[in-house]
Amino acid sequence: MSINSAAFLLFLAVSAAVYYAVPRQHRYLVLLAASVYFYLAYSVRAAGYLLVTIVLTYGCARLLGASHRREKVALAAEGADRKTVKRRFKSRRRGLLAGVLVVNFATLALFKYLDAWLGGVNGLLALAGVGFSFRPLELLLPMGISFYIFQTSGYLIDVYRGRQQPEKNFLKYALFACYFPQMIQGPINRYDKLHPQLICGNDFDADNLRRGIELMIWGMLKKVFLADPLAGAVAEIYTNYMEYPGAAVFLGAALYCVQLYCDFSGGTDLVRGASQLFGVEMGENFRRPYFARSVDEFWRRWHISLGEWMKDYLFYPLALSGPLGRVGKAARKRFGAYIGKLTVPCIATVVVFLVVGLWQGPGWSNIAYGLWNGTLMSLSMLCQKPIGRVNERLGLSEEKGWFRAFQIARTCLLVIIGRYFSRGESLYDALRMLWRTVRCFGQGGLGLSLFTSFGLTGLDWVKLLLAGGVLLLVSFLQERGVPLEKNLRQKSWGVQFVLLFAAVLLLVVCVYLNTDYTAIMYVYENV
Amino acid sequence: MDELLNLLSENCPDIDFETETSLVDDGVLTSLDLVMLVGELNDVYDIEITADDLLPENFNSADAIFALVQRLREQ
Repeated sequence: MSINSAAFLLFLAVSAAVYYAVPRQHRYLVLLAASVYFYLAYSVRAAGYLLVTIVLTYGCARLLGASHRREKVALAAEGADRKTVKRRFKSRRRGLLAGVLVVNFATLALFKYLDAWLGGVNGLLALAGVGFSFRPLELLLPMGISFYIFQTSGYLIDVYRGRQQPEKNFLKYALFACYFPQMIQGPINRYDKLHPQLICGNDFDADNLRRGIELMIWGMLKKVFLADPLAGAVAEIYTNYMEYPGAAVFLGAALYCVQLYCDFSGGTDLVRGASQLFGVEMGENFRRPYFARSVDEFWRRWHISLGEWMKDYLFYPLALSGPLGRVGKAARKRFGAYIGKLTVPCIATVVVFLVVGLWQGPGWSNIAYGLWNGTLMSLSMLCQKPIGRVNERLGLSEEKGWFRAFQIARTCLLVIIGRYFSRGESLYDALRMLWRTVRCFGQGGLGLSLFTSFGLTGLDWVKLLLAGGVLLLVSFLQERGVPLEKNLRQKSWGVQFVLLFAAVLLLVVCVYLNTDYTAIMYVYENV
Repeated sequence: MDELLNLLSENCPDIDFETETSLVDDGVLTSLDLVMLVGELNDVYDIEITADDLLPENFNSADAIFALVQRLREQ
């Protein structure tokens, strides 16, 4: 069931109606039933994998919670050696947590990468002249596996750290793990934020309904009028880049940035809106990333829930680990205080981005994508002070509009270069695309025909520029702090209704009544 | 406390540690600041601040950081 299909809208309407019809204490069961139905409609076998993860993490959290309780009792006993008791219990908890996390992430890796690894092994076997190769297993990737693995692992780490009490009610915990709006492409929700909203049984609120519908429409507009029309042109350029001049290849990568943003943030808006219908607010996942003035800021605005997850559960533990602490000390002795202090965060940052790259796919291009971002982030940390001094001497300040515009353009350029790797078919292709961009930039002229050479007609461009212009204007106003939603609320009911009706009509005519329109799968669906 | 305030100011000269009370919640202390600060605190006070201690309530103010350091020194 695609989330922008009429079937999904019907499913949502029925689920919301039943949710508000049953007594408050049973409403979470409606959400659970809807989530189970949604998942079973996708695949019964995948639902089995999901159930295994839920049972495993539920059991582990209960054991961790029991260990914390027993530790308290042992510490309260007379004559207890506090250090020994603490060390003993912590060591057990660590072993248990590590075991379950290994199982969780090994499962994810097997589903996502096994065939790619087998392909690599087959390549080596062929090189060695062995007349044998492994057949790809073509395992069905369970829907939302990355998201529920990250989410449940984060919960387990919080219970391990004593920040969270484990949920005793299995059904309530299962709902946190498989809540259907988050299953397509996140966001990766935190237990302390999501779980209370899921189980409390929210009352019907017209504002929630209206806000949910508006968010869903806004997300669908981004997907239908920008992401989907760009998908074909982007695929054409990335597949046949040798047939296009460098400028077109660069344009293709820039268009991919727009496509990906509208696809991913559009899908997120849609599911956040769907969740809002039940009064459950899921965290914001994008905050106008292409207005970022540095790569570091870009990553604080792009896929925010993944960034926060990586920061809390990978970056900090890594940066504060014993081995990296020793590396930091050695670096301080060797290179002085400034470089020494930055060594550990730089290494941890590169590792985090390597993991992010690998999460997107098993190829060398994904590793290169991670390295590109990790290196840029590390360089910006290392150069922050010297560049700050240079800017000060030159009188360059962020208060100057042109300087802000320059910083934004520079960040966009670096992000576009990164997308050569994340979208390229392979590392070899990504490097050849870059080479072609630089060496053959103006080959064949840079006239208007360049824009219509890869499947987009003049009319397509007019539609794209109109839709893109609206998105840019809205984003610009939000960036300036204009409270658009509040302003809209202050308009009369008539104006609000006409706007909402026009948007719905636009979608119905362009999507549901348009036989030429084919919904394209979300880019990050099933990663 | 004065010694700690000096250390904090040396590491993050742009932050007013004497008045700020939501250093982490308001994003005044970035993740980079936190990691560098923890490394410094571990070295100077011979303690071991781990990722488990990186709670906002432990780093939201100079007083909270002082309390954390004291607690870990006593352990």
